[in-house]
Amino acid sequence: MSQLVIGQLLNGAIVGTLYAILALAVTLTFGITGIVNFALGAFMMMGGYLTWYAHDSLQMPYAIAVVAAVVAVGVVGLVTDLCLFRFTRNNLVNGLLVSIGLISIIEAGVLIVWTATPKDLAYVLPGVIEAAGISAPKIKLVVFALLLLVILGTYLALTRTWTGRAAFAYAQNSEAAALMGVNTAALESAVMVYSAMLAGLGGALYASLYSLEPTLGSAFILKAVEAAIMAGIGNAIGALAGGVILGITEGVGSIYLPIAFRDAYGLVFLVAILLVKPNGLFGGKS
Amino acid sequence: MLNMRLAKRMWVGLGVLLLIGGVGVARQANAQAVVKIGQIEAQTGPTATYGWMSSQGAKLAVKEINDAGGFQVAGKPYKLELIQMDTRGEPREATVQFKKFMEDGVKFVFGPFLSNVFNSIEPIANLHNGKFLMFAGATAAHSLLGTPNHDYLLHTFNWDSGPSGFGTLMVAQLKKQGVKRVAMLFQNDAFGKVAADIYSKLFKDAGIELRIELFEPGTKDFSASLAKMAADKPDYLFPGYSDAVLYDIVRQATETGLFKKFFIVRGSIGPALKNKDAIDDYMAYVPKYFESAEKTEKATSKFIAEYKTFYKREFPYDQAPLCASSCYDHVYMLVNAMKAAESVDDVAKIKKALMSTPYDGLWKIKYDETGEVIFKFDLVQVKRGGAISVISIDPIK
Repeated sequence: MSQLVIGQLLNGAIVGTLYAILALAVTLTFGITGIVNFALGAFMMMGGYLTWYAHDSLQMPYAIAVVAAVVAVGVVGLVTDLCLFRFTRNNLVNGLLVSIGLISIIEAGVLIVWTATPKDLAYVLPGVIEAAGISAPKIKLVVFALLLLVILGTYLALTRTWTGRAAFAYAQNSEAAALMGVNTAALESAVMVYSAMLAGLGGALYASLYSLEPTLGSAFILKAVEAAIMAGIGNAIGALAGGVILGITEGVGSIYLPIAFRDAYGLVFLVAILLVKPNGLFGGKS
Repeated sequence: MLNMRLAKRMWVGLGVLLLIGGVGVARQANAQAVVKIGQIEAQTGPTATYGWMSSQGAKLAVKEINDAGGFQVAGKPYKLELIQMDTRGEPREATVQFKKFMEDGVKFVFGPFLSNVFNSIEPIANLHNGKFLMFAGATAAHSLLGTPNHDYLLHTFNWDSGPSGFGTLMVAQLKKQGVKRVAMLFQNDAFGKVAADIYSKLFKDAGIELRIELFEPGTKDFSASLAKMAADKPDYLFPGYSDAVLYDIVRQATETGLFKKFFIVRGSIGPALKNKDAIDDYMAYVPKYFESAEKTEKATSKFIAEYKTFYKREFPYDQAPLCASSCYDHVYMLVNAMKAAESVDDVAKIKKALMSTPYDGLWKIKYDETGEVIFKFDLVQVKRGGAISVISIDPIK
């Protein structure tokens, strides 16, 4: 039983980093533009499909397929920002409506092009690593390491670079940041594009672990928002912690409790945290 | 003089009007009347797998029939009009769409395949009993066949249990192989629960122990569930009812070596072929194994060719078996029944004709006395390395 629990702790952490990368995208977008972009889930799905298409149909090596998919999703992020989200800055309801509409368009588009048949990427790194009676698929460990690297890299970029500090300044007081020479319009667009690319990367790596279907983003974005709220909106490391906590709660909860209510375990945990810390685990005092 | 001119103009005008009216009436008399078929299936959304192929097949059949000049019923020419609604698997949306069909006087409804959608429209359908026919693939439709107020109902997807049931036969096959214990991992939704009820009884009757776990629809990571279930050391895993979960379950189960034998009643053999070197046995019910039928059956190869030409895309071999339900053949069966009944709107007569005439098209189909469909199907077995064997079972014989 202890092996089962340890195995699920590890698995939960790995799955949690997938929630975390999307949670990071959600938290960055909201912090800078005031938009809760639910379409990030659809961008993730798009990243997964584009990777599958580039790898399985166009026969690109997986690493190149991932880069191509991330860049393509970034371009879609830029276009949607210039054409849609630019007009909904700091308007929660409008942003939400536009993002929900965008989900329908992207899902319908994928359905038309690639149908409802699930797509399963050719296995990239088959096999498992076994240690002390616990086995973990190699590809899961690689995805885990990559996602950790990107999340920590983003955290460092936000805290150690001029652009990152400008973003923080803008999130705290946009007018003051503009007066100090921050190009606010460019910063907002850059964050929208970077968030889309994070979601695209999440999808590209997800494709190496699980099968793809057009609605996968809808389930993931809810988990990501849950993780972001659990950690406290606006915190990169918090997004990672929130995602991992959520993943572990689901994994370990499924061992002792009915699997049928797996999604509820994370929600119960979220409510419990918010009761004690209303701004989330890493959120400051209001 | 002026009055005479005015009267002359009036007569000329009246003549022109009569001429135009006459031409209109004549055109109407020559025009073909239209029989409407409404189709209510999920074409998008997480459960679209089930309605998508039915919608494609029905559309193709309607196109073929209309392109061939329509059909004659009691000496009068008719064409078909197919009105397709996308329920997205949402019961509330389906309810509105179904009500619209009834308001518009649609007499033939194809679908739904999904039990949750069927359950939501069934009370409304009951109010229109005797005025229309419903060709439903939904599992939930089975128990209502032949019951009061359900004269409209025909079940188009074959049933798991009963003497002709494919599930009964497949469990018997497992029994023959000496299987003692099976682990069932299914979606926690309307059909998942129905399937759990059906197979609990079938396995119990066969003397095979069954452990059931239900999971949240949309789950992708099954490692916790699989590890938990493997602890009981079952001989076979009986996982989920759609490819959307089968690919993930089979991969995760074989990757960690927890399960190598699978028993499938709904879903393709795609997951087995993808993991062909990691499985030992993958036994699947397939309404028709199109890959081999294409080479041996003329109707199947014609259907595949027509599909490719019409939709200008590759043929979806893994989705095509779902065309067994409320799809291509059923449009032709309906037309034949209307011809035999010599009516396009007497639904009681048309139903009687449908139930008394077996059909041999893409599938060999007949309805029993309750309106339950019986059709020829395939049992496909994939062994380690990808060797495929197909047994065709014909319960109509």
